[in-house]
Amino acid sequence: MLAAGTLLFRSIPIWLHGSVKTPAWLERLLRHVPAAALTALVVPGSLYTKANGAYQLAPTRTVAALAALLIALRTKNMIATLIAGMAVLWAGQALVALVS
Amino acid sequence: MSRTTHSMRAGAKDVSPIILGIIPFGLVTGAAVASAGFGLAEAAGMSLLVNAGASQLAATSLFIEGASLFVVIGTALIVNARMFIYATSIAPVISPTAGKLRPVLGHPLLDQTYAVTMTYGRHRDDVDVVWYFVGSWLCLASVWQVTNIVGVLAGSFIPAEWALDFTVPLVFLAMLAPTLKHRIDGETAVATAVAAAVLVPLLPLQTGLPAAIIIGMVWGAARDRANASGQVRE
Repeated sequence: MLAAGTLLFRSIPIWLHGSVKTPAWLERLLRHVPAAALTALVVPGSLYTKANGAYQLAPTRTVAALAALLIALRTKNMIATLIAGMAVLWAGQALVALVS
Repeated sequence: MSRTTHSMRAGAKDVSPIILGIIPFGLVTGAAVASAGFGLAEAAGMSLLVNAGASQLAATSLFIEGASLFVVIGTALIVNARMFIYATSIAPVISPTAGKLRPVLGHPLLDQTYAVTMTYGRHRDDVDVVWYFVGSWLCLASVWQVTNIVGVLAGSFIPAEWALDFTVPLVFLAMLAPTLKHRIDGETAVATAVAAAVLVPLLPLQTGLPAAIIIGMVWGAARDRANASGQVRE
């Protein structure tokens, strides 16, 4: 059921494309899917960690994500972004461990 | 090398940095499937049929918590509702040249294959975008299968302190940067970020995620409209 439902979600627009005209307002909305969807996939994991179903603020992750955002905007390079983000996260974790 | 092979290779190559991000994700999902009491065959079968990591992980963890089958399937489908948005958005790019492949092109559609095809593939003159898309999926799906299997077998040997799960948002962040070309894209991202920050912890069953995406889209479309009737974009 999960497989069938997911397959339909993915396939119907691809099957129908061309035979049904996409209205202008829908096209205007869809132009913004990449920026909106990617942001939504980034933000929760950069703000929170989840323990036993409860969301908790994760400041170290937030700082690391902001550093990675700077690198991403500047370099547009995925490996550089990954390295920057993980380096700041690990440094932050080490610092927190040192202080506490 | 034929154009088809070249296109598939290009897709695989462009998606490969993302593999760093899905390795921990695949391992975690495999480990979760194992701890839910399933074996290798079930894990591999689920990955092949459902082919959507976030929903697999969500479904498996709910199953472990003892949720009813209805809740498990319902939640996973909500998590996958964004696929409909992706499919509508990617259809103009891949459908016209898909030919005989069109009936099966829904299946390879994932966050990552969507992102590389829309960000890089469709702008390249040297590839057939349909085969580029398929190639990116073949690469990703193979790694997903292998990491799932390793996850099932190895369980949770990677220490949690390494926080490798953080590579998942980082990967999406790196893909986000090139899409922010215009001022309105930035505004869309900020609107989505605020909505996601508030709604994701608040709304049940991960519905905050699609809700935030829709809010960001509406914001962007409304600003486009305001701009169209006044000054020029960019």
